[in-house]
Amino acid sequence: MRVLKRAAAAGLVAAALIAGGCAAPSGEGGAGDDTFVVGLSSEYDTLSPVLGFAPDGGSLIYDGLMSRAPDLSLRPALAESAPRVSADGKTVTFRLRQGVRFHDGTPLTSADVKYTYDTLLDEAVASPIRGDFAAIDEVRAPDARTVEFRLRHAYAPFPQRTTLGIVKKDGLKQNIGTGPYRFESWTPGDKIMLSGNADYWGGAPAIDRVVLAFAPDDNVRATRLRAGELDAAVLPPKAAAGFRGERGVTVYDVPSADYRGIMYPLDQPVTGDRAIREAVGLAVDRRAMVDTILAGAGEPAYGPISPRTPWYEPSVERAHDPAAAGRLLDQAGWTLGDDGIRVKDGRRAAFTLMYPAGDSLRKELALAVASDAKKIGIAVEPAGLDWDAIEPRMPKDALIMGYGSPYDPDYVNYEMFHSAFKGQGFFNPGRYDNPKVDELLERGRGSVDEATRKAAYTELQKIVHRDEVWTYLVYLTHVYVIRGAYDGITPGVEAHEHATGGLFRDLHTWKPAG
Amino acid sequence: MRAAAVMAAWRAAFAVPVLVLVSVGMFALAQASPFDPVRQYLGERAAVTSPEVAEEIRRSWGLDRPLPEQYTAWLGNLLRGELGDSRTFHLPVAQVIAERIGWTLLAVGAALVLMLAASLAVGTYAAWRQGSWIDRLIVGGAYANEAAPVFWLGLLVIWVFAVRLDWLPAGGLTDAAAATVEPGDVLRHMVLPVTVLAISQSSWLVLYVRESVIGTLREDFVIGARARGLRERTVVVWHALRSALLPFLTLLGTRTPELVTGAILVETVFSWPGVAGASVRAALAVDFPLLAALTLLGTAAVLLGNLLADVAYTLADPRVRTLGVA
Amino acid sequence: MGMPVQARAAAGVLAALALVTVLVPAFAQLDQSLVNLREAGLPPSLAHPFGTDEVGRDVLIRSIYGLRVSFLVGLVAALVSMVIGGLVGLAAGTLGGLADRLLMRVVDGFNALPHLLFGIFIVAMFAPGAVAVVVSVGVTHWTTAARIVRAEVLSLRARPFVEAAISGGSGRLRVARRHLLPHLLPHLLLATVLMVPHAIWHETALSFLGLGLPPHLASLGNMINDGQRSLLTGAWWSSLVPGLFILVPTLAVAVLAQHWRDRLNPRRRSELNL
Repeated sequence: MRVLKRAAAAGLVAAALIAGGCAAPSGEGGAGDDTFVVGLSSEYDTLSPVLGFAPDGGSLIYDGLMSRAPDLSLRPALAESAPRVSADGKTVTFRLRQGVRFHDGTPLTSADVKYTYDTLLDEAVASPIRGDFAAIDEVRAPDARTVEFRLRHAYAPFPQRTTLGIVKKDGLKQNIGTGPYRFESWTPGDKIMLSGNADYWGGAPAIDRVVLAFAPDDNVRATRLRAGELDAAVLPPKAAAGFRGERGVTVYDVPSADYRGIMYPLDQPVTGDRAIREAVGLAVDRRAMVDTILAGAGEPAYGPISPRTPWYEPSVERAHDPAAAGRLLDQAGWTLGDDGIRVKDGRRAAFTLMYPAGDSLRKELALAVASDAKKIGIAVEPAGLDWDAIEPRMPKDALIMGYGSPYDPDYVNYEMFHSAFKGQGFFNPGRYDNPKVDELLERGRGSVDEATRKAAYTELQKIVHRDEVWTYLVYLTHVYVIRGAYDGITPGVEAHEHATGGLFRDLHTWKPAG
Repeated sequence: MRAAAVMAAWRAAFAVPVLVLVSVGMFALAQASPFDPVRQYLGERAAVTSPEVAEEIRRSWGLDRPLPEQYTAWLGNLLRGELGDSRTFHLPVAQVIAERIGWTLLAVGAALVLMLAASLAVGTYAAWRQGSWIDRLIVGGAYANEAAPVFWLGLLVIWVFAVRLDWLPAGGLTDAAAATVEPGDVLRHMVLPVTVLAISQSSWLVLYVRESVIGTLREDFVIGARARGLRERTVVVWHALRSALLPFLTLLGTRTPELVTGAILVETVFSWPGVAGASVRAALAVDFPLLAALTLLGTAAVLLGNLLADVAYTLADPRVRTLGVA
Repeated sequence: MGMPVQARAAAGVLAALALVTVLVPAFAQLDQSLVNLREAGLPPSLAHPFGTDEVGRDVLIRSIYGLRVSFLVGLVAALVSMVIGGLVGLAAGTLGGLADRLLMRVVDGFNALPHLLFGIFIVAMFAPGAVAVVVSVGVTHWTTAARIVRAEVLSLRARPFVEAAISGGSGRLRVARRHLLPHLLPHLLLATVLMVPHAIWHETALSFLGLGLPPHLASLGNMINDGQRSLLTGAWWSSLVPGLFILVPTLAVAVLAQHWRDRLNPRRRSELNL
């Protein structure tokens, strides 16, 4: 009996080791102190820029025609200099940098650029970011170093879009770029390994080996960082708090244009009432949300454009004033009922506020909104749902939504507020329809004159505020914890999606400090 | 020997209808599910995909065909080993399982060995010291352990040994920077999950060993052995082992569902890259191909556990009976 | 009555918990959606004996509410499985023959299912929520009841007074009501009582995995899941306490059930069927 059992146990373990051996990552060994391990919260769906990988740059593997400096200004990357834009704004011409080679040694030509954009625009490819490039009518490569974009209409933010990584011609799935790091291996569910590109046109990176390790669980990233397994990680503010003041560790708080707010279905009886929305906006204690839910890593939000960008219009800010909210509701005819909830024409001031069940930050924001609204007599019922369940309910129920981009005020806002996008998935889900706003959005994107654009977006922010389209709650601060000392870390203002890039977008310029 | 073979054949014959019924049940549930598989497949792209394209995919997947036809097609693919692609891991389901099942077997196997050794030792000791405060502590601990949710136990262990004391890693298979899988590294990461899994499954065995050893101690032949001058400890340990092994094997078979459950929770809490934890990720993402394959795998594991237990029992039974008479 | 000390202590603990969970709304109203951000993450103190969680809710009061919610879900799930199991067992026991053998094969088949895994499957296909949890626990746990009921029916059928009643011309229904039910009820009740903690365990496990009740609802599994995040910042109380609220009543029920079983089957050797 005993022999039988021992043999069985040994066989089990042996089988496990053999099977486990197959799962070992295929990248060659040599992990040591020269490897920089970054802990990320979410894994990429793809590594192809054409299919939506890092369209705003920071991919480390690819370069765009242009790239973005930490201060959000554009600088030429694969382009030799800033593009030439024709007087009517409909032709944008780039001249390519000389002597750039892909990781496999083939030289970069305009054919690669044309291939990248043509593939992206190909309907059969069904790229998720195709809509962002809808302005392109045609891409032409008159000679090996010239790329000419013909646009359907003048589109001021177009150069901003050319941060898209350029792939090798016919190399859609090869993960070969021109960037500072070469792709080595990808163990799905675990990590991506990169190695330094010694021939990088911008100079070889000082950190030679980079591992992007994926760990969706915040606790796992924090403990691995503490154990020294990770050199850097994105962490929620609360988990990062434990690292502040620790020796040998630096915590970077990077401001962002990444907002969270309440999206209201505007054609519903309760949420369609502007007084209700304005009252909620006055009643929510944004400061408390920042201090507690975000552990201080954020700032109150009052509109869709970040105060960290030059486009911001400060007049949309307002004080936390529950008393004013109560007066407002009284005037609007919402009178307090016996159960502490207001009623108007027999209708209770109640609505459902959805949040994605797996997102604890949005859950806590939803609860905080419900608590604040209760105090002024509005019953908000939180509902934690799967995204699949949320989407069909957006025409009926409010939602804690997040978005935001610092790059250009046309980004996100056009799709979020233009009536043409009414009810199209997560674009304008509240069905906001204001011809004046449509006109301002079009003027903003169509004009090449900075002052005209600034005026349009200032006006836009005021109207969106006056119409109480959303109740904006907070802007997040992205928190990074980095072990060891490096020179060259330059925080900028980040966008909603920070998994691609973020603080690590310039990893190739970091140097270990003396 | 013949009896064992008959038993094995009978069990195996029984397994087929169970697996078929489970597959029918899963398929029916998936059909009744409000989630649209095409929408799930498209993911974020669903927002920019035209209805015609979605309809095209629907047709090419045979989703417009009658249900029995769809089921046989699905089962046929399953039998040919075409398990489909997992949306969660961006890999074929077969590959996900192949890469992960070894780690699950390793953790579960190690936990079983640890559980058997520790339970025998603790249970025998408690029986030997029956009625003492340490016996009562062990019995009470076993009851309490059985009542404690394993995921909670796992969190407490992480809190003490990984966060406070910083002795062992809190999760994962290897250090993140490791490019290869080194046995020593894996071993260090294994300690906490394997221990928690072993402890969570050990209560019944500790109590069983204790009771049977107490029973054995009262039997004549033990008293006789003592009288013949054998050292008391040898007597106790030998009979404890013998009396506990058989129930261990048979009960193990019936306890396989609990083992699968424990593996799911422990792998999730400790981010162990096994198949059990993968089922949770698949469930959260409504990843039907992977989840269905893993559910069938879990059912097969339980059936295999029953089979092994029965065979072992039939093989061991006559010998045990003669020993009992002696 | 001669109740052992442990059983008496367990009964006391259960009574106290029952009292507290029933009475708690009288002295502490809990609005599931109410938080207090200004009092978040407070360690245990006089005002909050077990501290507050990451959004300022009292951990003790929430745990008691969590026990209420988990108990309700557990009870409904246990009743569902008892009804299914009772019907199957009754059918198998009274019909006998091929139907009996077939039904018992089905019972064996269901026992072969890894319960949590199947529960996860059901919840995943129908979106998490209380109904999904009840269904997933109910349809996977009725086999125990089926076995108990069938065994009792078979043993009763063989007893002289039942045989006499049937041969004396009493209808089957009458026999069932007069003789079967009184004998069956205590066993079924015991099975239900044992089932409740197990159902609670399933609810908490599913909620912990993010596949159970809505995350903002005070359920013990949700609280442990929330507490998991606070663990790193040193707030051990927000996951420790709800865990104890699962452990203590489960333990008390196990001890009591042991005692009850000994009384029901005095001749059977005292043995834990964990």
